[in-house]
Amino acid sequence: MHMTGAAEQHKEEKRDITFRVFRFNPQVDIKPYFDDYTIPVERGITVLRALNYIKEHVDPTVSFRAFCQAGICGSCGMRVNGISKLACTTQVWEELDRCKEPGILKVEPLRNMPPIKDLIVDMDPLVDKMKHYMNWIDSSMPESEMGKKEFLVSEDEFLKYDKATDCILCASCVSECTILRAHKEYVSPAVLLKSYRMNVDSRDTIHDTRLAELVKDHGVWDCTHCYRCQETCVKSIPIMDAIHGIRENALEVRGTKDTSGAKHAEAFMDDIAKKGKLVEATLPFRTNGVLWTVKNLLPMAVKMIMKRRTPPPPPMVKPSKGIKAFREEFREMTEHVKDDQQSHNK
Amino acid sequence: MKRYAYYLSCINESMTKELDRSIDLWQKDLDMELIKLHESTCCGGSNLEYVSPKHFALVNARNIAHAEKLGLDLVVSCNTCLMTIRTAKKKLDESPDLKREVNELLKKEGLEYKGTSEVRHLLWVLIEDVGLDVIKSKVKVPLKNFTIAPFYGCHILRPSTVLGKDNPLDPSSLDQLIEALGGTTIPYEHKNRCCGFHTLLVAEEESLNVAAEALAEAIESKADFIVTPCPLCHTVLDGYQAKALKQAHINASIPVLHLSEMVGLALGYTKKQLGIQRHIVC
Repeated sequence: MHMTGAAEQHKEEKRDITFRVFRFNPQVDIKPYFDDYTIPVERGITVLRALNYIKEHVDPTVSFRAFCQAGICGSCGMRVNGISKLACTTQVWEELDRCKEPGILKVEPLRNMPPIKDLIVDMDPLVDKMKHYMNWIDSSMPESEMGKKEFLVSEDEFLKYDKATDCILCASCVSECTILRAHKEYVSPAVLLKSYRMNVDSRDTIHDTRLAELVKDHGVWDCTHCYRCQETCVKSIPIMDAIHGIRENALEVRGTKDTSGAKHAEAFMDDIAKKGKLVEATLPFRTNGVLWTVKNLLPMAVKMIMKRRTPPPPPMVKPSKGIKAFREEFREMTEHVKDDQQSHNK
Repeated sequence: MKRYAYYLSCINESMTKELDRSIDLWQKDLDMELIKLHESTCCGGSNLEYVSPKHFALVNARNIAHAEKLGLDLVVSCNTCLMTIRTAKKKLDESPDLKREVNELLKKEGLEYKGTSEVRHLLWVLIEDVGLDVIKSKVKVPLKNFTIAPFYGCHILRPSTVLGKDNPLDPSSLDQLIEALGGTTIPYEHKNRCCGFHTLLVAEEESLNVAAEALAEAIESKADFIVTPCPLCHTVLDGYQAKALKQAHINASIPVLHLSEMVGLALGYTKKQLGIQRHIVC
């Protein structure tokens, strides 16, 4: 019955819809609040057009950013019914199914960025991070030649960062990021995506400096693989591929011992090669050393051992069945990878 | 009796043994037989894919090939193993060259990756194959006195290009199972959020903040317990719970159950049989 009702509701061409808009002016208001605006909306109207209508006809004090109205400029990122997206490419009609209260669309500012007013957030921290991680090409072409000849890249190379260049810096991924929510210093997904794009560009000369910054605290190793950024991206960019790309490159260029993130990742490779199974009990000190492990995890380890969740040392892990043949295949694949690298270097 | 190949996740072989033990107790009750693949190896835990993409393809082609040899779907009960093995499968199915290269090596063991077996989460199998009505009919001790916070975790939902069963923005499968078992679910904002597991050893403070937020909402909602289909989420939300809540200055606690334990309780098994006393919070 409910389904029929919803379907009929959506057949209508015009109806009154309430926009519950987040309001906050830090200079005046002690805390944020919501204002409800009920306006007639026709099918085919976007959230941005509805907000424009409210600003023009109902309440001129409602503040939001917008420019191109066509999903290109990235200005109108905001949360509609809880999800970060562009107001200009979001159909009101399609949001009706996602309303928690029927007929009421909730419109809020992006998360993880300081509020300025209403739906406007401060993008400066994001811009500062872009600068901090040097997200530009420092060209290897001498200045005297610039503008006089083309600086070509191969198609293969371009394909590596083609998708990354689709980013319009709308900051939806930044708003949804788990780790940025947990720590505001975190590099954030849009910045990692841009860093990846710069670091795979052969015309660039500051790859190593940028990478050295990326592997520090609050950098690329702090991503927790939750995939919220990628799931939210308004341009469907596989952001996690870029983050994994930076990590792969960091392991290649800087080795497997320079950071806890690299050591942690390498432990998986080592354990699989040897036993086929992960030796979880020793992961903490292989990642962070014995001192850190004792200081940080000892009380918990004692509890874990008492509950038999983790074995008392030394931890024994039985190798997978058929490990001998598996090790052989694994070793042979290592040879394949070496061959690939050699032919790539040529 | 429907048969499946069952993938042995490293964590269920070590820290969360109670998860698989619970399944062993009730699988026959639901007319299922899960055949453990002792040959399977670690999937790479969402790390191997960037350490060495080719080894990543090899180990998971091999994991799936063992299920294919039995002519069965591969059932997984860890979210990250699920996402990881499905990611490898997608790569193998999309790249004939990679598939050929991997199969050349697997030949030594008499294995071949064909792409014929599906890789599925236990939760999906319970809903799609066993069916909620059948589950409902087998319930001996309905969970009617329990209010339950369903914590789905990330890798059963995202990336949806690899998972694609539940709506990643508003998942419902676990809620449906809870209701079939007679329990009541709470509206839980953190149901599709992250537990912080994958950075516990690299960015501990951040991870514990992430976990504390999820725990705090469940505690404030007065849920009796959290249930999760992922042993990694369980390890953070149970094992690291005291540490996370201390960091967030919250003085409370909440039990966290594995999906398999919740099913076991409703099918009439005791807490002791299900190994719930092995949890840190119980």
